[in-house]
Amino acid sequence: MSAGTYASLVDLAAGLLLLSAVLVVWRRDLRAATRLLAVQGAALGAIPVLAGIRARDAHLLVVGAAVIALRAVVFPRLVAARLRGAPSHDREGAPVVNTATSLLVTALLVTAAYALGGSLVHAGPSSSARAAPVGFALVLVGVFLLATRRHALSQVVALLLLDNGIDAVAFLASHGVPPVVELGASLDVLLAIVILGVLAGRMHEKFGGTDLDDLRELHE
Amino acid sequence: MSGALLVTLPVAAPVAAAVVAVVAPWPRARSASGVAASLAVLACGVALAAGNEVGRTVADDHLLRVDAAAAFMVTVIGAIGTLATVAGVGYLRTEGARDATATRDARRYEALVQVFLAAMTLSVLAGNLGVVWVAIEATTISTAFLVGHRRTRSSLEATWKYVVICSFGITLAFFGVVLLYLAATQAGIPPAQALDLGTLSAHAARLDPALTRLAVGLMLAGFGTKAGLVPFHTWLADAHGQAPAPVSALMSGVLLSVALVVVLRVRSLADAALGPGFARDWLLATGLATLLVAVSLLVAQRDLKRLLAYSSLEQMGLLAVAAASGTRLAIEGILLVVAAHGLAKALLFVTAGELQHAEGTTSISDLAGVASRAPALAGALAAGLVALVGLPPFALFAGEIAIARGMADAHLATALAAALVLLVVGSGSLVSHGVTVLFGRPAREGRRVRASPATAVVAVTGVTVLLVLGVVGGPLAHLLAAAATSLGAR
Amino acid sequence: MSAGAPDARDAPATSGRRHERAALAAGIATSLLGAAGVALGVVAVASGVGPVRVGGALPLAGVTLAAGATGGLFLLLTGAVAVAVGAYSAGYERHGSTGPAQLAAVPFFVAAMLLVPLAGSATTFLAAWELMALASLVAILADHARAAVRDAARWYAVMTHLGFVAILLAFVVLGAAGHADALAVLERRAGSLSSSSRDVVFLLSFLGFGAKAGLVPLHVWLPRAHPEAPSPVSALMSAAMVATGVYGIVRIDVEVLGGGPRWWALVVVLAGATSALFGVIQASVSTDLKRLLAYSTTENMGLVTLALGSSMLLADYGERSLATVALVAALVHVVAHAAFKSLAFLGAGAVLFATGLRDLDLLGGLATRMPATTGLFFVAALGASGLPLGAGFVGEWLLVQSLIHSRPGTGTLLALVMPVAVGVVALTTGLGVAAMVKASGIAFLARPRSAEAARAHEVPAAMVAPMATLAAASAVLAVAPSALAPALGRLARELPGHPGSFPQLGLLLRLPGVAGSVSPGLLAVGVVAASGGVVALRALVGRSRRPRGTRAPLWSGGAGALTERMQYTATSFAEPLQRVFDDVLRPDVDVEVGHVEESRYLVERVRYRSRIGDVVEERVFSRVLDGVHAWASLVRRVHNGSVHRYLAIGALALVAAVAVAR
Repeated sequence: MSAGTYASLVDLAAGLLLLSAVLVVWRRDLRAATRLLAVQGAALGAIPVLAGIRARDAHLLVVGAAVIALRAVVFPRLVAARLRGAPSHDREGAPVVNTATSLLVTALLVTAAYALGGSLVHAGPSSSARAAPVGFALVLVGVFLLATRRHALSQVVALLLLDNGIDAVAFLASHGVPPVVELGASLDVLLAIVILGVLAGRMHEKFGGTDLDDLRELHE
Repeated sequence: MSGALLVTLPVAAPVAAAVVAVVAPWPRARSASGVAASLAVLACGVALAAGNEVGRTVADDHLLRVDAAAAFMVTVIGAIGTLATVAGVGYLRTEGARDATATRDARRYEALVQVFLAAMTLSVLAGNLGVVWVAIEATTISTAFLVGHRRTRSSLEATWKYVVICSFGITLAFFGVVLLYLAATQAGIPPAQALDLGTLSAHAARLDPALTRLAVGLMLAGFGTKAGLVPFHTWLADAHGQAPAPVSALMSGVLLSVALVVVLRVRSLADAALGPGFARDWLLATGLATLLVAVSLLVAQRDLKRLLAYSSLEQMGLLAVAAASGTRLAIEGILLVVAAHGLAKALLFVTAGELQHAEGTTSISDLAGVASRAPALAGALAAGLVALVGLPPFALFAGEIAIARGMADAHLATALAAALVLLVVGSGSLVSHGVTVLFGRPAREGRRVRASPATAVVAVTGVTVLLVLGVVGGPLAHLLAAAATSLGAR
Repeated sequence: MSAGAPDARDAPATSGRRHERAALAAGIATSLLGAAGVALGVVAVASGVGPVRVGGALPLAGVTLAAGATGGLFLLLTGAVAVAVGAYSAGYERHGSTGPAQLAAVPFFVAAMLLVPLAGSATTFLAAWELMALASLVAILADHARAAVRDAARWYAVMTHLGFVAILLAFVVLGAAGHADALAVLERRAGSLSSSSRDVVFLLSFLGFGAKAGLVPLHVWLPRAHPEAPSPVSALMSAAMVATGVYGIVRIDVEVLGGGPRWWALVVVLAGATSALFGVIQASVSTDLKRLLAYSTTENMGLVTLALGSSMLLADYGERSLATVALVAALVHVVAHAAFKSLAFLGAGAVLFATGLRDLDLLGGLATRMPATTGLFFVAALGASGLPLGAGFVGEWLLVQSLIHSRPGTGTLLALVMPVAVGVVALTTGLGVAAMVKASGIAFLARPRSAEAARAHEVPAAMVAPMATLAAASAVLAVAPSALAPALGRLARELPGHPGSFPQLGLLLRLPGVAGSVSPGLLAVGVVAASGGVVALRALVGRSRRPRGTRAPLWSGGAGALTERMQYTATSFAEPLQRVFDDVLRPDVDVEVGHVEESRYLVERVRYRSRIGDVVEERVFSRVLDGVHAWASLVRRVHNGSVHRYLAIGALALVAAVAVAR
């Protein structure tokens, strides 16, 4: 594939990442959030696949496929599985900050990511390094969601967003981290999601809901 | 014993014990294997340390690497792991007697403790930053259900906060690792070795300063999460307060220190790449802030286990401040404090756990007057608090003196003064609450409490080792010096 | 901790015997350690001890033991006091209920106090210092069932740790600048340190050692801890432990640092003068016997510090001989104070043992019931008041002599400071006499003011004998201070900047180069002879004129029989002083008038309540504590349990990392 096609396809993937992140902020429904995470995972996995096709590196193709499998299929399914049991009114997150303000903050964060992150990942091995600030933007949006969503599983979504952002930086600015590290990191994230899911289930039993504002009994 | 075996056994033995815990039907076999695994880790640590005395590395594998610091930490993990597993035997037996823990939960407890130990030894033995990260995240994962072992609302709340806050912090650390990897590959280091600690230190001068600064900042903050450094300290008191006492002993006594050693390794890398100022300023700021927060929350503390947790936070703040100086004496002092603090905290948490079992509460005012109800436990508590406050003849005193001397050598006397004044407030609070717990007027007439055999063993061993280390620990100087060098002491 | 065996079903007799054996063992151990200390002190003064290095002890530092004449003097002091206190406590604790840990803490306390002068390196010094603090803290908690004891322990722990931190900082700055840990090496290199380092080391070490010596403003632990501790422990603390503070000042600020700029001496003089005045004013209005003695310790340590400061100031102005005289005054007074203060506390302990009371307003009439204790306490009171027959006289006389004999025209500052210092010493002595008269007169003379005092009986001989020994030592120091001359001479020769000729401390105290001399021995003989002569004369002359005795009720102005309640109490005795020093004491006085039901013009009862706390504690430290608590509650409010807030706090790290990366 030519350099121009590669560049525009990578830009498309990066744009999808960003768009899905903004949509997660906009949509309160957790089901929609898991679907958006699946899209995001696919876009993320597409980047090493594209790089593998361009450089004819089977290694990268394998990595890309694994990323798509994990982040587009497994992780969102795990989160969605936890939702199946919950009654309908618990699926909507009722955030601390209203939608309009959230979107405004998201815009600011994306701008900040481009302003701050751009100069840091210069001169990457490929022209995709220009798009690396997208990953940084995802990280910032993930942090924002983490601090402002009331539903317990929204925090899981936010952590996944965070992780996707870091992987995006890795894949855009370089060819990703060594496979051992990627494997271990993915395994850790997988287990974390499983654990958080189990805890959310127990929370539903003990507290009668998954509103994190209920968790205020332990304090100084 | 061959070098490779000595290096892999500290990780493999606990994993094997975890498998036994899941599979074996007899409770005695499970407990025995757990204690045996911890003893194996201890033995390996001692063997590695003795071998490393000469200064050579025993094994320099691609992913696992042994230096003096790793040998020392493996020994510490083994020692406190042994104490915790012995205490855990007593804990499960008491819980089982009250039907408070189902067999399945007991199996899970024992298996997770062993996985926890394995993760900790892996993180100190790893030579690759990525593997270090994976191991540290694994400690969070393995301790999640340990913190939530007692299925109460409070422990569930503590577990959720613990997992989310630590995952957040550790993810930031991962971001830092990724950025460092980028910097390394951009500097021309081949990707396969771009995260190897040895290679990175050797080529540190070639790394891009701005990118490395961001990476180091994120790693110091992220790995500092597991050490409880500000601003990621908020999970500590909840998690250590709600976990079963042997787990709190392990977390407070070893996990915080293991994370701190990782921070030390990042610091030495940062010094090589950015010069001594960056990491020093960062660690001073976060260390003093941690000290301030910990001391402020110790002053009017009402819960005994939270008191001990904030005391651990206080120690970690002091150690971070000491790490900022980077001098030889300071780092040797840090390592000595790590060992002594671990022993003291294990002793204290196990005693507190025994009291919790007997009285059903950890509130300080409800527990007042322990000396009249349980003289043996009171003695252990008093010895532990004296050791924790940094009084001789226990080993923490020598460590803190070394830290003070090291910081003065680095011309950081003002920061040292601030830290010491904060420590006065902190230890004053500890003594004050300790006097209340030991000698205060009891809320109600309680019956005599006898210490269980497991607690007695832990207490006696802990006090003895602390005394021996503090009085005749001179021969440790070689090991500590070698460990300090491997951690980048100036 | 309880004294009994773990199994509560043991017969009380067995646990009682076990307790007696434990008390005896602890007492014997203390006395033996004291004897060892005396022996070591003699060796140290004669030829010096060490240096002995134990590299394996105390990881990362090693232990170095060494002592010269300075250390030797303080070893002698501590050892002598420990011998007497050990013997006393064997008898005192036999009938008490102190737990075994607190009993065992006393020998450890003495051992740590002996280690301090023996320390040859900074880290050994610090280790011994903290061991001393730990052992004394455990020993204080003997009667831990009482809330006042627990509070005293808390204050003591915090203040002693604060002092330790100051000393630690001083030592590490000194060690870092001098690149050594051994005190002998640091002494050699101290001259080459930068002046800012030396100033920092001086200020911090003076602060820390002053806190241990009970100097204002870090004295607040003294009036709390000494009354609540058991009397043998109070004696050790007041006589020997505060002396280690003085030892620290002499060893580090005078010997190792080797003197400094003029303002150092001013600081020392100021601290000493303030402590002396504050201590004696508080002592004169105190109604608790042991609290009075505790404040008297502050007063005496203030005088000692004043003498040290004057010595430094005089040496700085070139008045070498007078500087030596002032230094000798300080050291003689420390030793004398050890003798009479320990005796006073042991006497107070005897009173407590016999009556269970410390409150002077409830004591009285003990002279007939406890004659031996009364006599011995009077010896101590005489020593504390600084009058010619007492042990404190020699030191104070030497001090005043050094202050008044400076040559005119030597310097403006000297001309200003010396008269003020003389005034302070005079006022202190005067008020000290008042305080001691109150303590001894109200407690022992006249009639008992309460039933417990009336039931008092003499304490066992095992407790009287050590007190008598200390009284003998006080008497020796009062009339024949030449006993100390060899030690002091060797000490003065070791200190830098004191080549001045040594005052002769023979039967006649003669000062070199100054027109001053006195013979305390002859003075004492003279006073005794004169008073004896007057008594004998009256007896001879008045024999024929002695009226026949008759029994009749005392004329009481028609108001009825005289009762004990009509005597002076300690409160009323000190009331004029309380009025004069109202601004310094800030007493909390409350007068409540109760009226008869039928008419508001008829008074039924008047209630007067007066509480004199420690103004430094109430104005300064309580405010600091309130500030700490306010800050703590602010931090607690921030940690409200909301996971969102916690995560937002964590996000600050990300912001910080990005901010510093640029």
